[in-house]
Amino acid sequence: MKRASWVVFSLLFLLACGPKEKAEEVSYRLKWLYNVSAVGDLYADVYGYFAQNGLKVNVKPGGPERDALKELELGYAQFGVASADQVFRAVAKGAPIVVLAQLFRVNPLHWIYRPDKTTFERAEDLKGKTIGVTFGGNDETIMRAVLARHAIAETQVSLFSVRYDYNPFYEGRVEFWPLYLNAQAVIIGEKLDRAGEKYAFLNPDALGVRFVANSVVTTREMLEKHPGTVKRFLAALRQGWQDALDPHNEEKAVQVLLQMDRETPAAVVRRQLAATRTLMLPAPGAAFGKIDRDAWKQTAEIMAAQQLIPAQLNVETVLMTDLKN
Amino acid sequence: MLLRRIYQFFIIYLLGIALLFALKYTLRLSDYVIPSPDEIWRTGRDYAGPYLLAVLNTLAVAILGHLLSICLATAVAVLGRLTAWVGSFIRTAAYNIQAYPIVAVAPIIFILLGDGLASRLLIAAMICYFPLLLSFIGIFSEPVSDIEHFYESTRRMTWRLQVKIRAFENIHKLTTVIVGSATMAMVGTIVAEFIAATAGIGYSIRIALYQSDLAKILVALFLIGIGTSLYLVGLERAGNALQKRLKSI
Repeated sequence: MKRASWVVFSLLFLLACGPKEKAEEVSYRLKWLYNVSAVGDLYADVYGYFAQNGLKVNVKPGGPERDALKELELGYAQFGVASADQVFRAVAKGAPIVVLAQLFRVNPLHWIYRPDKTTFERAEDLKGKTIGVTFGGNDETIMRAVLARHAIAETQVSLFSVRYDYNPFYEGRVEFWPLYLNAQAVIIGEKLDRAGEKYAFLNPDALGVRFVANSVVTTREMLEKHPGTVKRFLAALRQGWQDALDPHNEEKAVQVLLQMDRETPAAVVRRQLAATRTLMLPAPGAAFGKIDRDAWKQTAEIMAAQQLIPAQLNVETVLMTDLKN
Repeated sequence: MLLRRIYQFFIIYLLGIALLFALKYTLRLSDYVIPSPDEIWRTGRDYAGPYLLAVLNTLAVAILGHLLSICLATAVAVLGRLTAWVGSFIRTAAYNIQAYPIVAVAPIIFILLGDGLASRLLIAAMICYFPLLLSFIGIFSEPVSDIEHFYESTRRMTWRLQVKIRAFENIHKLTTVIVGSATMAMVGTIVAEFIAATAGIGYSIRIALYQSDLAKILVALFLIGIGTSLYLVGLERAGNALQKRLKSI
């Protein structure tokens, strides 16, 4: 009896010491540097959601010179974040990209203005105004779409080339200035508050222009050859985002961000997180990351109208809406 | 010389393009990552005109900035030649200022001068000025003992004569440094346009990058190469003519 229990114990010990199943390693290229727009991605990593799904994910920051879509094709990353315009440009040139989930429900790109100095109640009020746009950027595309939708000729407004210097807006030379509602808007708003100035935001979505922002993408090959990995990655990511945006976990989410981005003060991160919730959280009962097919179609139509992509691009083949959305 | 410089540039450019195509077709990359020959051709056809104007715009600013730098570097180097302390002080200042990345200094310049011509000119001059200054200080501080000794012993040496002797004896070095810094002036102007201007080929490249359009960038690089080659040949010719003229005196 004693001998038998010794054998069982040895077997159990050997099993415990046996080769563990190694976590699958993948790279995930973000669209921008570590900031509040990646809080769910970082949360999933820090709180082990990827590991629980058998994945070791290298979450790499993006930036102006980094293009997640090119990295996917070159095999430097298996998953990435890209905006809809980037996806369409790539697909139009034959890139084998598919969209797995849509992170922002509302595009964070807004225009700040001073309501006491600039009257703005409806789109027609844009006539005669100076509006900042980044020529070549998606804010130019969005603003042109707003103007076209409301039959405002480009000669009726003055488009101003925007860079990182906000002085033209502070000085009042430019009335509408583009910024991200959950990032710069918090910092600029704080400055204007201190100066005792009023400010408000022009939301293109409210003017009928729905232009999809950050989405999670992968290659068609990855989806076809490793569907299990894709599903596990998405499950971990969704859980990460849901928990990071849950107000009960605010302190944990703030700490995750502060750990990765030491430059932004905690108070600012808290306000950025609150703004991010309004842009990302789905309607009650809906799953996080749901692909808004109509918004994607409108984005494609806007880009085709501005001749940025061919009109015959098939949007449906790019969107993986059947992946438990 | 012009023809040789142009075909040498063609060889380098075509080798680069060939490498890209080799990568594209070996790794089966889409036109989004590396554009097809057909797309590059179409982009070249559609954008060669506006991009050529943009390159000429950039080149004009680069030449102005370069001239400004040469004048300033000559003046400062002539002053720096006076005493060892002044020379070493200017060198230290030049090394330190040169160490600042232009992308960090540029926003300050644009806040002060706006995003017009003045900022582009200043940044172009800043990028090519310090290498010029350091070489000029070295050249103008180094006595040409064999010749200077004669004038010093006969007490006929003046500061102008000293500068002329040192410039004449080092004319080949000066020409090489000036030609070398011309490319830096071009790079400086493009960087300035990329960061904040609203004109020039640097601005066009920035827009193309926003649109992930490598075909446009390749067309821009081709025209920048041609423009820079023409300017360098012009400078080399001017330098050679000057050397010949000085030798004939």
